[in-house]
Amino acid sequence: MPTGAHASLDSATVAELRAILGDDAIVSRPTELKVYECDGWTIEKNAPELLLRPRSAAEISAVLKLLDRRAIAFVPRGAGTGLSGGCLPVGAPVMICTSRLNRILAIDYANRRVEVESGVVNLHVSNAVRGRGFFYAPDPSSQMACTIGGNIAENSGGPHTLKYGVTTNHVLGLEIVLPDGEIAELGGPTEERLGYDLVGAIVGAEGTAGIVTRATLRLTREPEARRTLLAIFADVEAATRAVSAIIASGVIPGAIEMMDQLIIEAVEAAFHAGLPRDAGAVLIIELDGIAAALDAEARAVGELARSSGAREVRFARDEAERATLWKARKRAFGAVGRLAPNYATQDGVVPRTRLPEILREIAQIARRHALRIGNVFHAGDGNIHPIVLYDERDPDETRRAIAAGREILRACVAMGGSLTGEHGIGVEKISEMPLIFSPDDLIVMSELRRVFDPAQRANPNKVIPAPGGCVEVAAPRRQAAL
Amino acid sequence: MAISSETIAKLERDFAAIVGAAHVRAAIGAESRCASVVVTPADAGEISEIVRRCEADRIILAPFGAARALAEIRLAPAAIAVSLARLDRIVAYEPDDMTVVAAAGVTLAALNAATAARGQWLPVDPPRPELTTLGAMVAAARFGPSRLSEGIVRDLLIGVRFVGHDGRIVHGGGNVVKNVAGYDLMKVMTGSFGTLGIITETTFRVRPLPARRLIACAGFADLDSAYAAAANLHDAVPLLHLEVTSPSVSAALHIGAGFALIAGFGGAAPEADYLRVRIPELLGVNNEILDGAAAIARYERIRDFDLPASAAVALIAAPPAELPAILAATPGEFIAHAGSGVARLFLAALDADELGRIVAAIRDRARRVRGHVRVMRVASELRGEIRRFDNPPAAAMTLMRRMKTTFDPRGIFNPGCFVGGL
Repeated sequence: MPTGAHASLDSATVAELRAILGDDAIVSRPTELKVYECDGWTIEKNAPELLLRPRSAAEISAVLKLLDRRAIAFVPRGAGTGLSGGCLPVGAPVMICTSRLNRILAIDYANRRVEVESGVVNLHVSNAVRGRGFFYAPDPSSQMACTIGGNIAENSGGPHTLKYGVTTNHVLGLEIVLPDGEIAELGGPTEERLGYDLVGAIVGAEGTAGIVTRATLRLTREPEARRTLLAIFADVEAATRAVSAIIASGVIPGAIEMMDQLIIEAVEAAFHAGLPRDAGAVLIIELDGIAAALDAEARAVGELARSSGAREVRFARDEAERATLWKARKRAFGAVGRLAPNYATQDGVVPRTRLPEILREIAQIARRHALRIGNVFHAGDGNIHPIVLYDERDPDETRRAIAAGREILRACVAMGGSLTGEHGIGVEKISEMPLIFSPDDLIVMSELRRVFDPAQRANPNKVIPAPGGCVEVAAPRRQAAL
Repeated sequence: MAISSETIAKLERDFAAIVGAAHVRAAIGAESRCASVVVTPADAGEISEIVRRCEADRIILAPFGAARALAEIRLAPAAIAVSLARLDRIVAYEPDDMTVVAAAGVTLAALNAATAARGQWLPVDPPRPELTTLGAMVAAARFGPSRLSEGIVRDLLIGVRFVGHDGRIVHGGGNVVKNVAGYDLMKVMTGSFGTLGIITETTFRVRPLPARRLIACAGFADLDSAYAAAANLHDAVPLLHLEVTSPSVSAALHIGAGFALIAGFGGAAPEADYLRVRIPELLGVNNEILDGAAAIARYERIRDFDLPASAAVALIAAPPAELPAILAATPGEFIAHAGSGVARLFLAALDADELGRIVAAIRDRARRVRGHVRVMRVASELRGEIRRFDNPPAAAMTLMRRMKTTFDPRGIFNPGCFVGGL
């Protein structure tokens, strides 16, 4: 495999990189590089040998041409908020960070398009266009920090993707610097593709096709109005019944999010959002559309929640109450940080009707491994986020946390689901890929990757497991926190 | 590329050994534009054997459903057509999960008949769903008016199975509505026109059928005012679809004699009732609102609209606000999906030179706004004269060539009728 052909970083190459980028764009001190040793998947850590902070596609092109000549592998990085170890260096000494490519280049309201550099923060796009009644639909929980480039790599979702779709549904065109340094302009501002859908192949490729430097995104019209409900249940089963009842009624809400008791407690301890601490589960349900129709729809949805067992349904009375509910939801991950020194967030998916089963299974897995596992997730599309609490100073508990995570993923697959809904395979789930894909599937996927990156130098050892071996073999330097 | 009768007889014998003699025959009618021999395998396993045989003997094959998409695009017939007609089973419909798995030979109409009982549909609405197989719909990235509100194939296809190089049976995606595991083979296969492999099975998200469907129509003396009204409406309220039509198309649809705006709307009762009042206010000109059976009939006529006598039908794609200027400068009749920046243009009978000049001029205008033109259909006598696709930029084309040679190293999958001659 070409992976084995990657060269190590030598001082001559570092000197040439300094000549291309200047000293201020290069981080090489081990103490400073430690910041980049992991993303949101903190179980495994490995700092790059060198971090580059280029300012433009032209600089990235020059860098990649040099790395290509020297056969040195690299890993792209946005804000490092990923949850699957997507930007963990595994056999790639050089990390290239896109954070300086942070300009919104053009906003075109007439065509509902925006052109941005890939280091632009997700929320900044919506902030730039909200005044004119538009937003950028994909809204991952990390949207205050994560970048559009990172979203493109992971095909990120978020609560409102139930109605509005994930990143791939909103990216029309890309500029990418391929691993050989060639700059390619793919797709464009039209809604029809010319030739193969290369943009569609790159979105979600987890940074293995090259470094995306610019994107043409679709803007979505802000709905005229929203109604946000909080439905309170005695247990998660009743809450999942309500989700099925709502969807079955033909309503597609903007979002349906579930939080279980452990998460409710964590959120209340951290933010006092007014969630009932004695509830077994809550649903945050958001409806959007035409104001004239929404009150009736909200009442109907509230009734469906009650008839499914909700003990109480609260309606957010104003924007402030709505914001409080969403703050509680989006900061749930941070709140969990108060409950344990470490946590790992899973991202499995099951067919929506299997939610009660998978939640029961997760509870059993938690008991079996003597772990606490909370659930906060996108119930509307069956995308679960079990949060496994652990303390990395306790090697046995860490081992149990990893084992529990794997068991949850296996359970999702056994129920006809998938390993990941929006976080990506990264390193976290790479050894589970054969659970859902045959050897032939994986061969064809790795061939597709080589269309863009024949030598496999862009983010090596990700997504597709190496034939006949686990990733650790290829990456002796990578340390798990075991 | 004429194939001798001896060769045909040999092909028939060879493939009869795989699928049985009853499922091999000479091509008839429009099929003969696609291929000389039609082979109708029973399943992906037989297709896998067919592919291996074709690769070994360098036999050019072309997959087809109802032989429509292929008959429109092939310049010369392939040696064999692989018909998906026997892969016609809906494998799994899960109304509560809102997903459906169906073999590639199932027609869109058959699929939607099955889901309608549960108030759902696959909201891709190309013309003539009864003649559109799912495989062809995906391979040709077909679409219809509802793309405005529901998206296109690439937004709804969540899993795919195909037979590729070496007879590999490959699947991507899965059965769940949200899934980022592995590379997105659904996007790769969508719009690939059979050049990368033979799609055998598709999995889609389905959506609730609109509880009510209504249509507003209004006539305008000129294109600019029709388009301005369309933009105004699109900005103000959620619509199911939005079309602007040229005078002959309007007349054929019985919507006056000028340019027309057609806006579909609806949903649950309170929304439909509100829009029923609000949309005429926004249009502010003479308009007609259709409800119930009349609205559905008009919607289906718009969806299926065609001018079959056209010498050529072209698809123009441009940023939505740039499309009217291109249409205004173009001879021919059109139906434009105004919110999406996509129009079907019908060009009347012309000689090859004139048609070539017109298409070149539209391409030039589209390119200036980073749009492109695809010639969807050409009268057979003009077929060799017209380039079907714009050329992608050089770097993109290099990647597309690599994609083709990676997926189809022997060059047997429907070659010669895609971008750049792929």
